[in-house]
Amino acid sequence: MKNFSAGIVLATLFTGTALAPAAADDRAALMSQHRGGAIRAVAKAAGGTMDPQINYTLQYWQLYQAIYDGLLAFKKGQGTEGFKVVADLAEEVPAPQDDGKTYVFKLRKGIKFSNGDPVTVKDVVASFQRIFKISGPTAGTFYNGIVGADACIKTPASCTLDGGVVGDEAASTITFHLTQADPEFMDKLAVPHASILPAATPPKDMGTDSIPGTGAYMIKSYNPNERIDIMRNPHFKEWSADAQPDAFADEISYEFGLTEEAAITAIQNGQADWMFDPPPADRLGEIGTKNADQVHVNPLTAVWYAPLNVNLPPFNDVRARQALNYAIDRDALVGIFGGAQLAAPVCQILPPGFPGHVDSCIYTVDPGATWSAPDLDKAKKLVAESGTKGQEVTIVTEDAEVSKNVGTYIQSVLNDLGYKASVKPISSNIQFTYIQNTNNKVQISISQWYQDYPEASDFLNVLLSCDSFHPGSDASINISGMCDKDLDARMKTVLRQAVTDPGGANAEWAKIDQAYMEKAPWAPLFTPKHVDFVSKRLGNFTFSNQFYWLPALSWVK
Amino acid sequence: MSGGALSEALAHPETSAADGDLGASLAGSPAGPWRRAFRRLRRDRAALGAGIVLLVILVASLAAPLYASLVSRTDPFRSNLSGKIMIDGKRTPIMQPSTEGRGLGVTPIGPTWRGSYFLGADAQGRDVAARLLHGGRNSLLIAGSATAICLILAAIIGTTAGFLGGGVDMVLSRILDVLWAFPVYLLAISLSIVLISKPIIIGPITIGSGSLILPIVIIGLVYAPYVARPVRGQVLALRNSEFVLASIGLGMPTWRILMRDILPNVSTTLIVYIPLMMALNITTESALSFLSVGVQPPDASWGTIILDGQGLLYTRPAVSLAPGVAIVITVLALNLLGDSVRDALDPRAGLRR
Amino acid sequence: MPGSGGEPMIAVIVARIVQMLFVMLGISVVVFLIFFATPGADPSARIAGRNATQETLAAVRKDFGLDRPMPVQYVLLMKRLFVTGDLTSFANRGQRVIPQIMDAAPITLALVLGAAVLWVVGALVLGVVAAASRDTLLDRGLMGLALIGVSMPVFWFGEVMNLLSQSRMHDTIFFSWVPSLGYKPLSDGFAPWFKTLVIPWFTLAVLYIGFYARVLRANLVETYHEDFIRTARAKGLGPLRIMLRHALRPSLIPFVTMFGLDFGALVGGAALLTEVVFGLNGIGRLTYVALQSLDLPVILATVIYASFFVVAANALVDIAYAALDPRVRSGR
Repeated sequence: MKNFSAGIVLATLFTGTALAPAAADDRAALMSQHRGGAIRAVAKAAGGTMDPQINYTLQYWQLYQAIYDGLLAFKKGQGTEGFKVVADLAEEVPAPQDDGKTYVFKLRKGIKFSNGDPVTVKDVVASFQRIFKISGPTAGTFYNGIVGADACIKTPASCTLDGGVVGDEAASTITFHLTQADPEFMDKLAVPHASILPAATPPKDMGTDSIPGTGAYMIKSYNPNERIDIMRNPHFKEWSADAQPDAFADEISYEFGLTEEAAITAIQNGQADWMFDPPPADRLGEIGTKNADQVHVNPLTAVWYAPLNVNLPPFNDVRARQALNYAIDRDALVGIFGGAQLAAPVCQILPPGFPGHVDSCIYTVDPGATWSAPDLDKAKKLVAESGTKGQEVTIVTEDAEVSKNVGTYIQSVLNDLGYKASVKPISSNIQFTYIQNTNNKVQISISQWYQDYPEASDFLNVLLSCDSFHPGSDASINISGMCDKDLDARMKTVLRQAVTDPGGANAEWAKIDQAYMEKAPWAPLFTPKHVDFVSKRLGNFTFSNQFYWLPALSWVK
Repeated sequence: MSGGALSEALAHPETSAADGDLGASLAGSPAGPWRRAFRRLRRDRAALGAGIVLLVILVASLAAPLYASLVSRTDPFRSNLSGKIMIDGKRTPIMQPSTEGRGLGVTPIGPTWRGSYFLGADAQGRDVAARLLHGGRNSLLIAGSATAICLILAAIIGTTAGFLGGGVDMVLSRILDVLWAFPVYLLAISLSIVLISKPIIIGPITIGSGSLILPIVIIGLVYAPYVARPVRGQVLALRNSEFVLASIGLGMPTWRILMRDILPNVSTTLIVYIPLMMALNITTESALSFLSVGVQPPDASWGTIILDGQGLLYTRPAVSLAPGVAIVITVLALNLLGDSVRDALDPRAGLRR
Repeated sequence: MPGSGGEPMIAVIVARIVQMLFVMLGISVVVFLIFFATPGADPSARIAGRNATQETLAAVRKDFGLDRPMPVQYVLLMKRLFVTGDLTSFANRGQRVIPQIMDAAPITLALVLGAAVLWVVGALVLGVVAAASRDTLLDRGLMGLALIGVSMPVFWFGEVMNLLSQSRMHDTIFFSWVPSLGYKPLSDGFAPWFKTLVIPWFTLAVLYIGFYARVLRANLVETYHEDFIRTARAKGLGPLRIMLRHALRPSLIPFVTMFGLDFGALVGGAALLTEVVFGLNGIGRLTYVALQSLDLPVILATVIYASFFVVAANALVDIAYAALDPRVRSGR
C-alpha cells in the first residue's frame, strides 16, 4: 500500500482506547476525588448560533469539543498533543485507499445521543448531507472534495452526496469517496462542522435551539443575552479518553454580560472560574504578580497582521509595502499586546511552530532568521523611490483596545514615513467583513488569523490564493487582494505534492512563504500567546493547541 | 423679575446703601441697566476670580503647541513606544515592562512632575499634559459651539412653542420628541462607517470623518429638547402672568413683549444651563469620538483622553483623572461667572444681600 | 391638555396618542434608512459564517429576505414585530426579539426607578438647602459638589466604583457587602437584588442629582422674588415654610420637565453605559450589543420601545404642568 499515511501529517493510527494501565488508574482515582461541582465561565458576549455545523467561532468550537463528536476528533491533550487526530465515533483512523480517494470508517457501537437515540450509519450520512443543505460556511471550502459535493452546492435542498458518502448499515461502515486525494481530509473530519448529529435534525440553522450530541456534556438552554446552561449528558459513557473524556464538573454555567475588567475582578474574588475574553492590558501586571499561579500562558499558532491592499494606492506599489514592513517597530507592538511574555515579532505569513515554517526575516536592520529592529532609513528611501509620499492612508481597525492601539501606532509610523494617515475603528463584529469587501476601498487594516487546523495551506492557500479573492463580496478572505499567478500555481502544485511527500511539501511551503513576503502583501506584526486567567479552585487546567482550554478536563471540587 | 424695577428699589431703600450705582441712578445719572450690570460685575470678586481662571484655561489651551515644544519637548501626536527620557540622571524607558511575578504587561510611566511627561505617559507613550492642553482646544471649541447651538435653538423653539401655543406648539413639541428619541448612537456608527471612504459634501462644505462640525451639530441638536422644553414651560407660565397679559391688553406688538418681558427671563434660565450643558457636551463628545465621529486619533480632546485613560484605570489613573479635573474646574468657573452675570443683570439683586 | 377650555378630554388624549404613533413610526423609518445607508450593514456574510462561499451568501440573503426591495423589507419587519410577534434577530439566528425585550425590561426598570428615587430626593434636598442658605459656604459647597457630579462621565465613574467596591477596597468594611456584578432577580430574594443595585443606582443618579439640584436652586431663588412670595413674607410666614409651600411648586416646572425627558429616555435604554459597566442585562445593554453587530431587528425594536416611553413621559409631564402651576396652560 502506498504510504499515504505519511501524507497525513499529524494524524495518527491512534485508536484512543489503548491507554497505559497506570494512567487509567490515575484517572479513575482523580475522577472519584474531583467529580462534581459547577464551573462558572464568563464572557462579554455570545458567539452567535449554537448550530455546530454553522458556527465558525473559536468561542463555541471550544465548547463543541465536549458536546459533539465527529468520526474523528482532535485529541484532548496538552499542547501539541491537541493537534493529533484520533478516532472518535469511528473505531479507528482509516488508512487511505485507492490513491487517497477512498476512506472507509467503521462506526463504533453503543454510543447514544443525549436524547437517548443510538448513533447509526443513517445519522452519519445525514449529517454530511446537512452540511450542504444548510449552506454551511465550509461546505464549499473544506468538503467540496467529496464526490457529489458540486451538485449539493448548486442545489443544497436536494443534497444526497450520492457516491460521495456511502453508508452500509449491515457492516456499520461509512465510505467516503473524494474526487482527488486530500491529505488534510482527516483534519477536516475532526472539526465541529463535521459533527455527527441525529438524522432528524432539521436542515436549517438551529440558532438558539440546541441539537442533541454525543459528548460528555449537553446544552440545557441557550439565551444569547444571558447564558448557556451546559449539563452532563445522561446517556454518555466514555469510550475513548483521548477523543471524548468523561467530564469532572457536573455543570458549566457560561454567562454573558461582564466586561473584561469585571471578569478579572470576579475571578479574583472567587465569583467566577474562567473568562473567555483576553485580560485587559492594565490588569496584566496585577494578575501576573498577585495571582501568578492562576495565569496560564500558552503559545498560539496565530498571527496579527496588517493586510495591504495591493490594488489601491499607495500600496499597489511594492516599494511602499516593503517600506512599511521595514519601518514598523514590532517590539513596540509586542509591548502594546502585553510584553515579551505574551507575544513575539514575526515577519512571515506562517507562524512559528507551524508545519512549513522556517525562520526568516527580510524586513529588519540585519536581515536573517529573526527580526531585530526597524530600518527607518531604508523605509524612507523606498517611500521616496515609490513616489507615494504624501498620499492619504486610512487604517481600519476594530474598536477593541489592542486593535485600536496597534492601528494608532501604525498611523504614527505612516506619518513618520511622510504619508497622511488616519485611523478608523469600527465595531469588532462588523470590521472583519467590512475589510474584505473591495467596494469599501480599504487600503490597510488590522486583522488576525488563527488556524482552523495545523496545515500550512490553512494560512497561505486560504489567505493569499486567487480563489480566495472575490471582489465586491463580504466574504473575500484574501483581504490584500493579491493574485499572483505564478505563486498560485506553485501552491496548487505543492498541495498535490503533500499527498505523497509531506516533508518536501513543507519545505516548499516555506519557500512560498518567503516568496510572498518578498512581494509583501501584508505587514506581519506579531504572534500572540493565549492568556487564560482561572480561579484558585480550578484544577487540572489543560490547554490543547487546537481548541485551547478543555473544560471537560478541569475540576472545581 | 423685570417690570417696575425702579419702583421696587424705591420701596426698599435701606438695602441700596452698598449699591452706589442705584443711588447714582436715583440721583439722576444716566447709567443704563447694562452698564450698571457691568459695574456690579466688576466689583464681584468671585466673578473676577472665575473669569481669570477661565482666561488661564483658554490661554493655556491656545498655548498648547508652545508647551509641547518648549516645556515637554515631545510631539503629543506621535507614538513614542520605544522612547526613553532622563529622570534623575537615568535613562528610563517610557513604556515599562513588568519585572515582577510572571512579568506580564507593559505600563507607561507615571507622573514625573517635571517638564517632560509632567502627568506621565498614555498607552502610546505620549505626554499626557501636552495632550491635555491640546485637548482643551478641541473640547472647549466643540462643547462651546454645541452649547451655543443648543441654547439658541432651545430659546427659539421653546419661546415660539410656549408663546404661540396651539398647532405651532404641537408641531414643535413633536419635533422635540423626535429629536430626543432619535437613535443618536446608530446615526454615529453609521456616519463613522460611511465617512471612512467618502466625505459628505453639502454645497461648499466638505465634511470628512474628522470634521468637528459633525459632533457640534449632532450634540447641539440632540440636547436642544433638554433645554427647549423647560424654556417652553417657563414661557407658558410667563405668557399668563399679569404683566404680560397687561402688555397684550395694552396692544403692545408681540416682538416687543418678547424682547422686554419674555427673553430676559429666558436668558437668565439659559445662563444657568451653560456650565451644565458644557459638562454634558464634553462627555457626549467623548462617546461620539469613541464611535469615530469627531475628534480622531491622534488628535485629543478631554473626552478622548478620559477614554484613553479607561484602559489604564487600574495602573495609571492620572490619565483619566487629569482631564476630569480640567472639566470640573472649567465647569465650576463657568458656573460662578454665570451666577455673577445673572446677579448683575437682575435689577433686584441688591435686595438679596 | 386639561383646563384649556372647550375641548373634551377624550379628544385631546386621542389626538395625543395619534401624534405619538406618528413619532414612533417616523423614528422607525429613520432607523431603517440609516441601517441600509450604512456600507457593511448587510448581515449575510456575518450570519453565513467566516469565509463562506458566494453561493452560501446568496442562500442566506434569500432566507432573510434581504434581496427584496427596501419598502417590502420594512413592511415585513414591522409586520413580524407588531402583527405576528415572531421577529427574529439577525445576529443570533432564531432568537425572538420580543421575549428578549420582555426579559430585559424589568432589569432596566429596576435600575432606573431606584436611581430616579435617589436623584429626585437628593436633588430636592440639595436644591432646597442650597437655596435656603444661598450665598453662604454651604450653598457654594453643595453646588460645587453638584457640578462635580455633572462633570464625571458615567462610564468612567462606574468603572471607578467597580475598581473601589469590587477590587481595591472590596475587603474593607466599606464594600465587603457588595455582591458580584450582574443582576439578581427579585424572585431570588430582596437582599441580593437590593445590594447588587445600590452602587449602580448611585452611579446613575450622581449626574442627575447635580444637574437637577443646580436648576432647582436657581429656580427657587428666582421664584423667591415673585410678588406672591413677597406677599407671603409680608404676611410673616417663616422662610422655610415659604420656600417649601409656596416657592417650590412653580420652581418644579423645569424640574418635572427634565425628569420626564430623562426618565422616559432612561427606561427606554439610555442607561446603556451604566448597564454594560455593571453587567446588568437590561434594554440598554441589549441596544448596545445590537448596535455593535448592526442587528437591525433588535435595533428597530429597542428604538421603537424607547421612543414610546419618551413620548409617553412627555405627555404625562404636560398633564402634570397644570397641577404644578395654574398659570401654565399648554397645547390647546
